[in-house]
Amino acid sequence: MMMIIAEFFVVILKVLWAFVTAGARWVVRPKEKSVAGQVCVITGAGSGLGRLFAKEFARRRAVLVLWDINSQSNEETAEMVRQIYHETETPIAKDGPVGGVEEVPAFQPQVYTYVCDVGKRESVYSTAEKVRREVGEVDILINNAGVVSGHHLLECPDELIERTMVVNCHAHFWTTKAFLPKMLELNHGHIVTVASSLGLFSTAGVEDYCASKFGAIGFHESLSHEIKASEKDGINMTLVCPYLVNTGMFKGCRIRKEIEPFLPPLSPDFCVKQAMRAILTDQPMVCTPRIIYMVNFMKSILPFEAIVCMYRFLGADKCMYPFLAQRKEAMNNNEAKNGI
Amino acid sequence: KLLFLCSAKRLFIFVCSFAVPKSVDGELCLITGAGGVLGRLFALEFAKEGARLVLWDCDTVANERTAQMARKQGVEVRAYTVDLSKRQSVYDAAEKVRAEVGDVSILVNNAGVVAGRRLLECPDELLERTLLVNCHALFWTTKAFLPQMKVRNHGHIVTVASALGLDFTLLQDYCASKFGAVGFHESLAHELRVENNDGIKTTLVCPYIVDTGMFSGCEIRKEIRKLIPPLEPLYTVQRSMKAILADQEMICGDICSIFILEEFWNTLAIHYVLIPDFLHAFHIETLDGSELTLPGQAVESLWSDWASRILGFPTASPIGSCSFLPAKASCEKAVW
Repeated sequence: MMMIIAEFFVVILKVLWAFVTAGARWVVRPKEKSVAGQVCVITGAGSGLGRLFAKEFARRRAVLVLWDINSQSNEETAEMVRQIYHETETPIAKDGPVGGVEEVPAFQPQVYTYVCDVGKRESVYSTAEKVRREVGEVDILINNAGVVSGHHLLECPDELIERTMVVNCHAHFWTTKAFLPKMLELNHGHIVTVASSLGLFSTAGVEDYCASKFGAIGFHESLSHEIKASEKDGINMTLVCPYLVNTGMFKGCRIRKEIEPFLPPLSPDFCVKQAMRAILTDQPMVCTPRIIYMVNFMKSILPFEAIVCMYRFLGADKCMYPFLAQRKEAMNNNEAKNGI
Repeated sequence: KLLFLCSAKRLFIFVCSFAVPKSVDGELCLITGAGGVLGRLFALEFAKEGARLVLWDCDTVANERTAQMARKQGVEVRAYTVDLSKRQSVYDAAEKVRAEVGDVSILVNNAGVVAGRRLLECPDELLERTLLVNCHALFWTTKAFLPQMKVRNHGHIVTVASALGLDFTLLQDYCASKFGAVGFHESLAHELRVENNDGIKTTLVCPYIVDTGMFSGCEIRKEIRKLIPPLEPLYTVQRSMKAILADQEMICGDICSIFILEEFWNTLAIHYVLIPDFLHAFHIETLDGSELTLPGQAVESLWSDWASRILGFPTASPIGSCSFLPAKASCEKAVW
């Protein structure tokens, strides 16, 4: 009995120490790890955050494997990446030291593109096989692909609901099952889940997206525990929860105009830079902007009515409605154009 | 000021509603997973309150038993065999219910399964099944019954998730699906508020580990076991009933209102550096009788560590030696 009390005290001390070390991270930024030469798989690389992640990793000379369902945008991203590789080639022979030391040419990273529907299990597994054969073992996996149906629940066709769920949530299972075994074997890897702040709290109108992002977060956290249990400390996990990002996916979403200057939609660059910082310093979770941590905290202690009140005040309860209306209009316009 | 008013109002309603729980006499109540332990208890409790019942389960025998037991209470009960992992099955059954019985006013989304394997050893069909039954099915049942509830502006949707939908531990599929259920429920609740459908209430039930056999084999550290034993199913259901009849939005199992606090800890502490566990080894009994002792985990926050340690590891599938059964077959054997 004494044992457990003693251990409890030790744990309390360790918790306090953890707070101290975490605080220290704010003051003395830990060094960013190098990913040069490592193989990095990015799903949903054709647009939005995926493209920016690809560019950031390209700047750090990682080997990129781009997955997307849309081959054209995937290729465009690959072009941009090649451009960056070209630009960041360190000029080696320019000012070599006197004395003729042999210069080793810089490592030439490459980019590989694959068309893959991450919602389909077989597609993920077969593409993963191809990657293993053609590129090698994967070091960094970024589960970024995401879709939203853009309809109210009762008006939403079931296929779109299912698609949101399989792409945003189920896909993580398949990609992880494809790449984790090797990571465990080599005790080296990094899995990044790009969820959303809508996976920490929810709002009206996006039931499918919320359910899928909550699920992605649940999966991520559970997997973190599993990896820690297996004591493979070479494998890290990072959860990225951005607030509304200005990529066009949620175009039209807005909160109350008076509050908007304080909480504008994020610029994708900012969001990705924060995420990169977190990934490269092995931070388990990052929310952008930081106020999301506060929102999450308040959500968990306030009674539901209070949350509803706050949402109404911020205009956050109806924030998705203009987005949904816009989607509906676009669909109607499309139908009109196609003469339906 | 706003917050204070809201909280005060909420407290007032809370106190009042506990004084006079609402009556569900004559209401039509649909319970999914009614053949299982919690589902059966929910059915009996609702029958006691006088509600008419519609019971859904994939296991016909267990479902019929529940129906018999509920009929003894003197209420009208109909039982249907439905496979919640199939969208069309749900819609067809909903049609039948509407035609043969009437409009559902209370929807209890209780059905839940778990694969019970480590992620990398789990066959994909079982992973998918967990996600489909625990999370997708909510969409289909809600889409089936919510329109009528909205028309009459009267209804109650209960989602039986789990404490594993707030906290996280090692069952990736179950956690993901229960998080998803929580996310869906919350978003739905917000949507109903925005649309001013005050007559439709929602309740989220998040019990801590309930002693139903679904997670048999979960072991916690000996010293803590006395303090935090698995919940009794009857107690869980009675507590949930009280919350449902009081239109309470959310109820966690008694001692795990700690989980709400835990979210608070999680948010503050989640990206802080790890604490090596102090609840070190714990045992899994695999079904063939051998014992595995696993090394301890290092986790992020004290409470979350505690809680996930409490839940411990699941055994290999509680449904016996079905190792690679496809979804349909395992349903017959399952006693969720």
